[in-house]
Amino acid sequence: MPGKHLARWTLSWFASALLCLVLALALALVAAPAPGEWRRGVGLALLHLAAIGWLSQAMIGALIQFLPVLLARPLLWPGLSLAALLLTGPGAGLLALGFLGLEGWPPGLTLLAVAPLPLGLAFLLVMTLAAGPLVAARGWRDATGRMVILALVALGLAWLGGAGMARMLAGAGGFTLPADLLPFHVTLGAAGWLGLAAMGVSYRLFAMFLLAPDPTGPLRPATALLALLMIAALALGMARGAAGGAASPALAAMAAAAAVALLYLADLSRLWRSRNRPRPEVNMRMSRPSLCFLALAAGLAPFAIRQGGALAEAAVFAALIGWLSTLTLAQMVKIVSFLTWIQIFAPRIGRGPLPLVQDLVDEPAARRWLLLWLAGAALGTLALLAGQPAAFRAAIACLLIAALGLLRLLWQIRRLARLAPGRHPGPLPPLFLPPQTKAQP
Amino acid sequence: MTGAAPDRLAEVRAALATVIDPETGHDLVAMGMIYAVELEGDLLRVTMTTTIRGCPMAELLRAGAEAALAGLPGIARAEVRLTWDPPWTPARIGAGIGL
Repeated sequence: MPGKHLARWTLSWFASALLCLVLALALALVAAPAPGEWRRGVGLALLHLAAIGWLSQAMIGALIQFLPVLLARPLLWPGLSLAALLLTGPGAGLLALGFLGLEGWPPGLTLLAVAPLPLGLAFLLVMTLAAGPLVAARGWRDATGRMVILALVALGLAWLGGAGMARMLAGAGGFTLPADLLPFHVTLGAAGWLGLAAMGVSYRLFAMFLLAPDPTGPLRPATALLALLMIAALALGMARGAAGGAASPALAAMAAAAAVALLYLADLSRLWRSRNRPRPEVNMRMSRPSLCFLALAAGLAPFAIRQGGALAEAAVFAALIGWLSTLTLAQMVKIVSFLTWIQIFAPRIGRGPLPLVQDLVDEPAARRWLLLWLAGAALGTLALLAGQPAAFRAAIACLLIAALGLLRLLWQIRRLARLAPGRHPGPLPPLFLPPQTKAQP
Repeated sequence: MTGAAPDRLAEVRAALATVIDPETGHDLVAMGMIYAVELEGDLLRVTMTTTIRGCPMAELLRAGAEAALAGLPGIARAEVRLTWDPPWTPARIGAGIGL
């Protein structure tokens, strides 16, 4: 693939992530637990397939692509990306199967005890890859770098809590943690790892997509400070819980999380208003409504942590499906079309007329599928709040149809389906694997 | 542009305007990415930037600009170099050629 700072395996990460998304939604359609019962084995299986298989894999694919671009420093040992990918997808699958042990499938408990190992190794490899640009560019001095560093710390802590609880549920010996640490684990995973990474990458990526100036001032350092406080409170809560202590700082962590979300939303609002692109593309237009779900999840979080149950389920659903998944799907349309354009047309720059990146995308179809996804996310959140299993199942059906529609759209982008055949320059690259590199003489 | 008549500048500008940033649909000149153009005899030197230092398109846009300039009459060699000092900002959109 031509181009400096292009990660070879991003499209493979995306393909693996999308496979997990469709699998999770298809299984949820037939086996989703009723609202209020998501702590059952099947609920935890579906949740981890979505959180690790779908969202984390998509986030890692985006991080290995954009950290070197945004910080202008290469990944450390880029070849580790394939090893991390081969551990993450199967690791998420093993973990999901492991949770079925809680539903009375005995082999599941063995899998539950060992599944954290490949995932832990994969996350360690991802941290090693990310250390290249983060250390070389002194990422702690940069708004994007700071948030990604905090996100990776949260990933490590979320893994630690999750591994300990999984081993306890599996009845394994050695390192275990009590299951009542679940709220800390969920918040570290959703708000810490996925949320902060999304915020960090979007800071500069959105500025690029909107042709907006990078904001200056105290807002971003203040957001990072609050994010640090959130992670510290969550880590302290886990440590106290592990030691059997009381007086949990969970509420303080949730208040910090809500404040982080509020400052981030103010930041993006300022970015949107200062844009030089009068009509943003579909990825940015459809990312805006996803932020309503962030506001909703942040608003629900302090109450959810006290009451748990339906409120907690709705907050997690709004965050994972409404905010992060909508954002990921919308930006995936842009990233896939951009990478496809570079693969195919970049060597011909300056040698004649070329299509634009947006010419590769069927924008009305993208908008239609993303709107259906948003409708499913809204219906699902309401169904969980109201305890309506039938409505929740209808929401999952909407989400599945939308995901399949977007999958088809991405396939069309990779095959240049929007361009007349005469504008296809020779053989197209593989759908999601990197093209073979020619041996150097 | 230094060392050249205005009509040569127009030719160079027109050639660089054929190099489109595929993300925005604007050309290099309209995006304010061309910082300097110098002509010494039949050697053309262009200094350009990209929207961000780590841009994966940077080298490809540089090579594309060189390719677009290579066909200009009276130019034996076109050299395009990249700089990020000063960094590009959206305020440069529409600034034309030069800092």
